[in-house]
Amino acid sequence: MSEADSQTESEQTATAGPARDAAPLLRLRNVGRTFHTGDVAVTVLRDVNLEVPRGQIMVIVGPSGSGKSTLLNIIGGIDSPSTGEVWFGDRDLARLNDAALTRYRRESVGFVFQFYNLVPTLTALENVVVSSQLSDNAMDPAEALKMVGLEHRTHHFPSQLSGGEQQRVAIARAIAGNPEILLCDEPTGALDLETGRNVLELLDRLNRDFGRTVLIITHNSAIAAMAHQQVRIGSGTIAEAKANPRRVSAGEISW
Amino acid sequence: MNVLDRKLLRDLAAARGMLLALLCIIVVGVLCFVSMASVYLNLEQSRQRYYAQTRMADFEISLRKVPLQDLSELLGDLRGVAEYRPRVVFEVTADLPGVERPLTGQVVSLPGHPGPVVNDILIRRGGYFTDDRRAEVILHDAFARARNLGPGDRLRLILNERIHELTVVGTAISAEFVYLLGPGGLIPDNENYGVFYLPEQFAREAFDLEGAANNIVGRLTGEYRERPDAVLDRIEQILEPYGVAAVTPLARQQSHWFLMSEIDGLKVSVVFVPTLFLAVAVVLLNVLMTRIAEQQRTVAGTLKALGYSNRALFSHYVRFGAAVGVAGGLIGAVLGWLSAGGMVEMYTQYYEFPELANRPQVLVMVFGLGLSVVFSIAGTLNGVRKILRLSPAESMRPRPPEQGRRVLLERWQWAWRQFDFRWQMVLRGITRNRMRTASGVFAATVGSALMLLMFHMRDSMNEMVEFQFDQLLISDFDLTFRNVEDEGAVLEVRRMPGVDRVEPLFNVGCTFHNGHHRKKGGITGLMRNARLTVPRDVAGNAIAVPRVGLLLTRLLAEELDVLPGDVLIVEPVRGRQDRLVFPVSAIIDSYLGMAAYADYDWLNHQLSEAGAVTGVQLKVDRRPEVVREFYRELKQLPAIQAVSAIRENRKQLEEVLIEQMMVSVVVVTLFAGALFFGSILNSSLISLAERNQEIATFRVLGYTSREVGQIFLRESLCINLLGMACGLPAGYGLCLLINRAYSTELFRLPFVIQPASWVVTALLGLGFTLLAQWPVKRAIARQNWQEALNARE
Repeated sequence: MSEADSQTESEQTATAGPARDAAPLLRLRNVGRTFHTGDVAVTVLRDVNLEVPRGQIMVIVGPSGSGKSTLLNIIGGIDSPSTGEVWFGDRDLARLNDAALTRYRRESVGFVFQFYNLVPTLTALENVVVSSQLSDNAMDPAEALKMVGLEHRTHHFPSQLSGGEQQRVAIARAIAGNPEILLCDEPTGALDLETGRNVLELLDRLNRDFGRTVLIITHNSAIAAMAHQQVRIGSGTIAEAKANPRRVSAGEISW
Repeated sequence: MNVLDRKLLRDLAAARGMLLALLCIIVVGVLCFVSMASVYLNLEQSRQRYYAQTRMADFEISLRKVPLQDLSELLGDLRGVAEYRPRVVFEVTADLPGVERPLTGQVVSLPGHPGPVVNDILIRRGGYFTDDRRAEVILHDAFARARNLGPGDRLRLILNERIHELTVVGTAISAEFVYLLGPGGLIPDNENYGVFYLPEQFAREAFDLEGAANNIVGRLTGEYRERPDAVLDRIEQILEPYGVAAVTPLARQQSHWFLMSEIDGLKVSVVFVPTLFLAVAVVLLNVLMTRIAEQQRTVAGTLKALGYSNRALFSHYVRFGAAVGVAGGLIGAVLGWLSAGGMVEMYTQYYEFPELANRPQVLVMVFGLGLSVVFSIAGTLNGVRKILRLSPAESMRPRPPEQGRRVLLERWQWAWRQFDFRWQMVLRGITRNRMRTASGVFAATVGSALMLLMFHMRDSMNEMVEFQFDQLLISDFDLTFRNVEDEGAVLEVRRMPGVDRVEPLFNVGCTFHNGHHRKKGGITGLMRNARLTVPRDVAGNAIAVPRVGLLLTRLLAEELDVLPGDVLIVEPVRGRQDRLVFPVSAIIDSYLGMAAYADYDWLNHQLSEAGAVTGVQLKVDRRPEVVREFYRELKQLPAIQAVSAIRENRKQLEEVLIEQMMVSVVVVTLFAGALFFGSILNSSLISLAERNQEIATFRVLGYTSREVGQIFLRESLCINLLGMACGLPAGYGLCLLINRAYSTELFRLPFVIQPASWVVTALLGLGFTLLAQWPVKRAIARQNWQEALNARE
């Protein structure tokens, strides 16, 4: 893909994205998170205000310890804020009980982790089924694997797959339940440049072709170049949040 | 199949080494439960059917002679007595062609025509009597089998000092003689002791009891069955003028007592033994599950993040325990049923039942399976709780490094520095994994306690046999006369070939009274210089028979609540009917029955007799040809009612005990081995998996797999030695408990644990610990440590 092409495309999506639906998918209002260990209280997030637009790619960049994983966990419903509100549609995640949060994760969220977190004793296909069997409007797991280009590896165990392949299985698992948002925690963190790029291209394609909202957190600022929305987080607060008018295709990113 | 179930299967397969070890213990627990509970139910059901079928008596009364007419007047309308049957019962000797020794047994009379009577028989071969007056006999089936006798054969019985030639018309069994013992015996001796059923009329004539009986068996009405004492006291009072020798309620009937003590023993073991094994399994499973919770931390967190509810995860991980429980339960139930077959076969050697089969007790098997599943799930709950408690966000983060706290010993730096670093690792491992250490100690405690218990049983049995046959009763034969004889009879016996020593006995059946305490029993008069019966105290010291007064066995003294120096009222059954006042001189010990001894001459004098003899004890030349001659002469002595071959009894008892003990030694050792093996393998393999990288590092540094293995060996040794240190005293307590539980009026076991038993128990425990190291060693040698080094835990 040439630079010109990609630019045109980025511009198109950058403008087309918000235009698709004005209401953001997620809205965070004054979110704070404090951990207590013994007598020590550690505040990891404070006063975070953020809107995640529907159908776009948002990349949150920050150094380790900046609170980005905690933010992702709160958005994903596997952690709850100490203060503030997290609105998903008309639901405030901060006020949901455990069962409702579980339902939220099941129906609306797909997770991609840095270390893939596949079940080692299940094959690629079975790992996808683990997720798809939870959802009523799930994709065919084999189809999901085909989408990530692993239709020839369906019966391999994670230990028989390369890191990039494992991450692609993890992405297939994440999309199999037809979630509204894909949450990716350092998706390239354990991969080499080439494989990392492939994974990012895959995420880009899922956004472009299937309209998935993708939220990536990473310490790698280079990745922000592919985002519609770029967010910088530091010391638990949002340092900067802006639209990216000049999107670069994932294939051109380098680090 | 659901993918999570597929994951479960693969998780189970991955943990197979540890699970196999655990499975062994669960299987043993379920096996014990199913086998013992099945045998218990089969025995108890057979017993109840058999008792109902043959109208087993609720009481038995032996007396000198009671006319039948009087009896119907006295007992006919007595409240509480549902039915009764007067009988003729005598100890007799029998002569079989081609058999050297005189055989002994009991004559029991039966109506001339079959009908449902109290203590009825079930014909096994042949048929019932053809005529009330003919010399026909129905034999106790086990005796007939042992002596190869059947319908049409003939044998000679000495009845009331006259020899009668009888024709066998059939063989039979009766609920009264499920466990048939001769006088002084502990195990059935079917070759030499039998029951001879004779037609009533014939028996009465033979024993000069026309229109009379010397034994009554009867059944009580419903409400008196559970509490027969009042009715039986009343019967005893009513019949006292007829010379009541013994009133025996069903609970103390010999065969019933032995059978019930076996059945009750099973009932206790059914609860106690499987619980021990399953408790160990719970503890070990808990350790394994905690490990799996650690291992699956991220997987569980991911599943939660994907939207699996806590309930779904709970059901998934609990199924791990349930699967182990189902596998252990199924294998245990099948093996349990098979070993129940073996146990039933053993019981049929000693207990005569019309039908005692190893019926599959489906409910027991289902319950055993259920137990196994419940215990296994209980063992997993703690680990599952840990998995559920973890928040998904937390589980995504790598495990916090293990707390490197100092162990207690490290506070004393000087002492700590005396250990090399491998010992230091061992000590830290033991103190940090407290649950694992505790479970290992618990398994070793149970294992060694069980072994000690088994050796204690063996020691006590041996001691009992030695005390009874080498210290208390030293004679070769005890002969009982049919009537009270005088010194002439003693002289006659002394003239028999091979007889080295004869000591007369004077047995007086009586009732002892002390205040409201009352006990039927007997006093044996012993010669002052008696050498063939030597009363002893608990330490084995001989106690001389006092010139005046009684020696009472401890149990009898306790029952009558008397101490040396107290006096007892004695009411003799024969001789004078007056009540006599006898002082208690000393207390002695005996393990069988409740004996009382007195000086022969003094006792004679007290009963206004002189030189009265009811039996003799003999020491004989034991060369076979002399014994043969002795037997031949013995058969010619019609005055003899019973012959008890003490040395043969001892030999037989010893053989049976040794055989049974061999079986239990093997079984218990195997079971204890399963405990040691299971626990060590389980914890070592877990520890090996946990310390994968640590071990790999050592291997890289140049340590051999043997040197690494030593760390594990030392750890096992420490834990198991500690377990044995707890298990030996715990076993001692267990032995005391069991010993008390088995002490009854008829039979008591001495409390003995030989020094060798302690040592062998400890050595076996140590041996198991070392043996269990073998698979651990192999696992270490096969470990791919290069890979382990690169792995991300």
